[in-house]
Amino acid sequence: MKRSVISCALIIFCLMTMTGCWDRKELNELAIAMGIGIDKDGDQYVVTAQVVNPGEVAAQKGAAVGRAPVITFQAKDKTIYEAIRKITKESPRKIYSSHLRVLVIGEDLAREGIGRSLDLLSRNQELRTDFYVMIAKGMKASDVLNVTTSLEKIPSNKIFYALETSDKVYGPTYKETLDDLISTLVTHGKQPAITGVVLKGNEHEGAPMDNVAKTDPDARIKVDGIAIFKKDKLKGWLKEAASAGYVITTDQLSKGIMHVKCPKGGKAAVEIINAKTKIKTKVVNGQPEAFVYVRQEGNVGEVECHIDLTKPESITQLEKGIEKRNVELVKTSIKEVKRKYKIDSFGFGEAVHRSNPEYWKKAQKNWDKIFVHMPVHVKAEMKIRRVGTIGNSFIEEMKE
Amino acid sequence: MGFFKKNKTRRFSRGPDNLDAEQRNKNDQLKTSLAENMMYIKNTLGNSDDVQTRQFEIGKGLTIKCAVIYMKGLTDEAAIQDFVLKTLMTEVKNTDLEQKIVEGPQLFDVLKNLAVTISDIQDITDYQKLFEGLLLGNVIYLIDGQDKGMSFGVNKWDERQVSEPIAQSIVRGPQDAFNENILTNIALVRRRIKSPALWLEMKKIGKLTKTSVAVMYMKGIANDKTVEEVRQRLKRIDIDGVLEGGNIEELIRDGGKSPFPTVFNTERPDVIAAGLMEGRIAIFVDGTPFNLLVPALFVQFFQTPEDYYNRSYMGSLIRLLRYGAFFMALLAPSIYIALTTFHQEMIPTPLLLSLAAQREGVPFPAFVEAVLMEVTFEIIREAGLRMPRAIGPAVSIVGTLVIGTSAVDAGMVSAGMVIVVSITEIASFVFPNYEMGIAVRMIRFLFMALAASFGFFGISVGLIALVLHLCSLRSFGVPYMSPLAPFIPADQKDALFRLPKWKMSSRPRLINQENVEREQTPQPRPPQPNEN
Repeated sequence: MKRSVISCALIIFCLMTMTGCWDRKELNELAIAMGIGIDKDGDQYVVTAQVVNPGEVAAQKGAAVGRAPVITFQAKDKTIYEAIRKITKESPRKIYSSHLRVLVIGEDLAREGIGRSLDLLSRNQELRTDFYVMIAKGMKASDVLNVTTSLEKIPSNKIFYALETSDKVYGPTYKETLDDLISTLVTHGKQPAITGVVLKGNEHEGAPMDNVAKTDPDARIKVDGIAIFKKDKLKGWLKEAASAGYVITTDQLSKGIMHVKCPKGGKAAVEIINAKTKIKTKVVNGQPEAFVYVRQEGNVGEVECHIDLTKPESITQLEKGIEKRNVELVKTSIKEVKRKYKIDSFGFGEAVHRSNPEYWKKAQKNWDKIFVHMPVHVKAEMKIRRVGTIGNSFIEEMKE
Repeated sequence: MGFFKKNKTRRFSRGPDNLDAEQRNKNDQLKTSLAENMMYIKNTLGNSDDVQTRQFEIGKGLTIKCAVIYMKGLTDEAAIQDFVLKTLMTEVKNTDLEQKIVEGPQLFDVLKNLAVTISDIQDITDYQKLFEGLLLGNVIYLIDGQDKGMSFGVNKWDERQVSEPIAQSIVRGPQDAFNENILTNIALVRRRIKSPALWLEMKKIGKLTKTSVAVMYMKGIANDKTVEEVRQRLKRIDIDGVLEGGNIEELIRDGGKSPFPTVFNTERPDVIAAGLMEGRIAIFVDGTPFNLLVPALFVQFFQTPEDYYNRSYMGSLIRLLRYGAFFMALLAPSIYIALTTFHQEMIPTPLLLSLAAQREGVPFPAFVEAVLMEVTFEIIREAGLRMPRAIGPAVSIVGTLVIGTSAVDAGMVSAGMVIVVSITEIASFVFPNYEMGIAVRMIRFLFMALAASFGFFGISVGLIALVLHLCSLRSFGVPYMSPLAPFIPADQKDALFRLPKWKMSSRPRLINQENVEREQTPQPRPPQPNEN
């Protein structure tokens, strides 16, 4: 009797004191933030939270009454934490950011440096750190978050899935989660890069619900471009071709489409189904040298030229074409980064660190300068596996 | 503490009550005078109107006064007519008693051997035996001038037919169930096991009810120590009445305060027979179709006879489903509460949004909501059991409307909670044995409270406590969680899974320790070329 009372008391005591970060909150006491935007205004942070209005989003019969599926709340303060909490002056519920999908950082803030604003987001237990970080290209983060979208009712979700899907099937987009970004920020020998997001169309037309009533909305948000950083400061944007090269070089390409010129003119498109890129470095006579090996597998996806696909030679020709294009893309992007930004965004330094740690110790300090002059050799290997459900294109037959 | 101790040792003294007569006639011997005997019986029974007495004379020339006494309704009156009164009054009347005997003790034996055409006869010399027989439905035969009488076993009363099981029905398998008569029940089992090793011990329990309780086991398979333990525990019972097996169960079970059943009960003769052949001990109680089987293990409550009558795949899969249902019935509402009030980050985002949408405008916290729903359901369930059958549909319609639609439409509870509660309640009906369902229903509320105050942390602590408790239980010396804890590899064949029959060559190890080998049938296979 005495023993069981004591043990019960002990269990309750342990339950009360040993619980970690627990906090009881009902679902209808939460403002579920799907996207957070951070901008800078003078020396203050402007935090924009895109909060879901669950009743409008969930597929429940009769619940939706035509209000906007999301609400954005904004607050300005010296620190991000203060600003987020300040939002409750306006919002009836506390911002709950465990389900955060995207973090959008305004370009102005990015140019000043993003490092300081990321601390809270990685420190707070509520955030999961598996959301994507993006830079609002040439605009404020709040502009991007203030748009309504159709198909995906929640704009943050739309950006999230657009990035996921284009990464999966298109190619030259680059996704980076917060923990990846932070680990790159502290890595010597690689400078971070973050994907961009942009509002196309009239930004003042984006907010009203009319926007989603149209088949061709006035304002759209789009994942676009790759921002190149030096440490935590934005330096510039890569163009389409250079971003494709960047994605290939950093081994971020999983699947994608690549076009190639046919031997007799015209074009063909090949779907890359498997891609792997390796960076190797060597130090010869105290001078580093880098090799990029690209290996890809793919299927012929589209033929707009005269080529006889039944012949193995033509397949080889296509493969050679893709290989050439790969080399081109990689070289363009490295050249552009070297010329314009003079920083190592690709992680060549990391490769050197791995293969020649002794040399790295000396070179580390002025690696970016060494990188600019380092020769990079690119080799590509491509295998075409399948040609699709038809053999030769019917264009071949139309000729006669 | 001293206060409690004092209280514990104090015994209630038995006050002067109607048991006095019983105490007194324990030692009283029958008198020689019939009139005196009749008077005594009438006084003791308080002149009850259902006591039938008939006095008559037998013999030609020398006549002897006799009497039969029996209880109306408990006795086969036709048998009294044909085999007692008729023979005694007509046939004996024609016999010249004077020639055969004179008087004295011989008369008794002559009558017994000559005149009564009934096989079940007992001599009675004292009143205790007399009343025992009389109240069992026997006919008491008393002769003037003799200080002993006879008790004829012609008891008969109305009883339910052997019919289909009500609480434990199955699709494939025998469809007979026990009824309220212990002898019928024993016969149902005997009919299945025609072995001389099937032994039976019968005794009477209950000072007032004097209920027959029988212990049945397979000699040589059942553990003798366990049999002895059952005897001892039955012997310790000292109560007024036994009206159901549950009365016995409560007094002999292990883990007195545990909500989990440690005695198995069944209304199916095939389950008792299977248990006996595994080495378990059956306890039959007169007056109930639910008979007991010990030792009872945790896994046993998830087994149905059908597991063994169907192919093993089905048996195993359904059994896994039942274990799944166990956890669902136990934890579903608490996990839902923990997820929605503490760990929202663990819910997939689209589901979270959908749940959040449902909760918009719901006035209660999830815990209160869950308790409300659970209690409402328990009320409906209880009402469904207790109400007169004719108004059943009305209650179920109101119940489903209230729970199902109106509560959600009115915004009192969220639809998700209705789904969780319904799944939970339906899952608690999956167990083949009602008792386990009761245990789970009770513990569920505890888990809900833990989840509401501490989230998953509370649930984990609760689960650890539950496992510790289950592992500490024993049923008649056998660890309750065996063969899972202690882990017995050989017995896994019939714990979580049910392996094919040819793999079940040994009996459960902890229940039976002497005669382990069960069968040696090889796996069926097509004829081999070198066999003929």
